[in-house]
Amino acid sequence: MWNKIEGESREKISQTQLSRLQDTVTRVYELTPFYKEKFDELDINPKDITCLQDIQKLPFTKKQDLRNHYPFGLFTVPMSEVVRVHSSSGTTGKPTVVGYTQADMDVWDEVMARVYTMAGATAKDVVHNAYGYGLFTGGLGFDSGAKKIGATTIPASSGFTDRQIMLMKDFNATILAATPSFALHMYETAKKSGSDYLKDFKLKSGVFGAEPTSDGLKEEVSRVWGIDYHEVYGLSEIIGPGVSSNCKHSKLLHINEDHFYPEIVDHKTGKVLPDGERGELVITSLTKQALPIIRYRTGDITSLHREPCGCGRTMVRMESIVGRVDDMIIVNGVNVYPSQVEHVIANTEGVTLNYQIIADKKGHLDKIDILVEVNDDVLSDSVAEMEKIKKDIQHSLANNLYINANVKLVEPRSIERSMGKAVRVVDKRV
Amino acid sequence: MSKILKQLSIFVENKKGELSDITTLLASNNISISSINLSDASDFGILRLIVSDNDKAKAILDEAGFSSRFTDVFAVEVSDHVGSFNSVIKALAKENINIEYTYTISNAQIGAFIFRISDRELNHAIKTLASDGINLLSEV
Ligand SMILES: [Zn+2]
Repeated sequence: MWNKIEGESREKISQTQLSRLQDTVTRVYELTPFYKEKFDELDINPKDITCLQDIQKLPFTKKQDLRNHYPFGLFTVPMSEVVRVHSSSGTTGKPTVVGYTQADMDVWDEVMARVYTMAGATAKDVVHNAYGYGLFTGGLGFDSGAKKIGATTIPASSGFTDRQIMLMKDFNATILAATPSFALHMYETAKKSGSDYLKDFKLKSGVFGAEPTSDGLKEEVSRVWGIDYHEVYGLSEIIGPGVSSNCKHSKLLHINEDHFYPEIVDHKTGKVLPDGERGELVITSLTKQALPIIRYRTGDITSLHREPCGCGRTMVRMESIVGRVDDMIIVNGVNVYPSQVEHVIANTEGVTLNYQIIADKKGHLDKIDILVEVNDDVLSDSVAEMEKIKKDIQHSLANNLYINANVKLVEPRSIERSMGKAVRVVDKRV
Repeated sequence: MSKILKQLSIFVENKKGELSDITTLLASNNISISSINLSDASDFGILRLIVSDNDKAKAILDEAGFSSRFTDVFAVEVSDHVGSFNSVIKALAKENINIEYTYTISNAQIGAFIFRISDRELNHAIKTLASDGINLLSEV
């Protein structure tokens, strides 16, 4: 454990959270017209927050609110106190901009140090950081955490894969920080270059994140490199990477809840859901100075778990992100996430296949078609075997997700793509 | 010469013009098709081709966004002797070798039966037929 608070009693953690929440609420009420207005509308005063449950009285903050105040409208400190800004690229409209005071940077270093410690890293390790350095929080976030624990950092950034592999080998990197897809790409490249990668490399674990990742890809990265896979969750609006990560005892991610207060809400009603139930993750920053944020709607679907963990940490754990709120569809009353469909297909066929979910109405009922692109890995010369693939996927979807879908096999590259990414859901009911 | 022929099996959706798209595409790249067979289900099918240049044909299909793979088959000439089809069936049945499918081809040069046996039993099948004096074609 990096910090003993990670294993504190629940009472102690709750006390810390409450006093920090009260400070944060007072701070935004006094310093941000946007929040003052919202609080006044709901007739809430910072003094009304007397226990943690009172957080449910507070208004939500949405990504659009950040965009509306582009670039620095929600900052609560003068720019002279802001030591860093980061920005996330918006696929639509303006980007979102976040700022950090020196105290915020210290918190970021602290939580990233916890992440590295959870992944088994110490000052003796060499961290190969292949996250992109720049406005994106990945590169510098993973950089500063490695520095905090005293490890040696190789700031490789992204691109130049061949050279990265050479450096990773020659510098005896022991920890890989990268997106999972880049980690897999590095392996493919290493294999092509003919280097006896498992013998030549000293890697023992990796800290991966920044993109939605199927279990299949996680296992593959872990297997091909022969390393422990540690997942890191975060978002720039809250801090960047470092909101949560998993220890070696489970796949659930410990949330650094002394800095980031998590709730799970029903994304339609906004009502808080009990532990274990899936819904939208909402986070309130408890210590942020430059850009405190109240009940931020992350858009990510997960669930919270409070059972004790084998590592001794007492911080609440979250499931790896199941999907995005924007992608979820309801079919005859059942919630369906594209990532789950992807997972079922990968488990059934042993490979990841491109797919698209098409929801439509048939009379009063919802009807769902799933297009699955055939590729050379699953292609068989036998029509009966291809029919079997179709039936097997239908069967698994019914058993695992409780949906009766009509699976249709289609040719490669026939599913429509938008800016290079396959369109996962087409809802013809709306 | 090897008696095993490489057949290219291509996944096709049952939509209008799909087959002629593929044959036109190959022809325009100077690949000649000596055998063509379609096995289909309700909404898709497997198009089986024997072509003049396997690797080039595969590359062209990959490029055009078709999924395809090679399947080993063998061919028996129809005119080889009367009842050539029956004699193959009998010889294989005697050894309990299962035929996955068979189809006939005829083009300007030749009339033949194509046989598909599982990869596991293919060599055994070829040896069996050779010892029964059944002549397999090295090309079609
Ligand atoms: Zn743990």
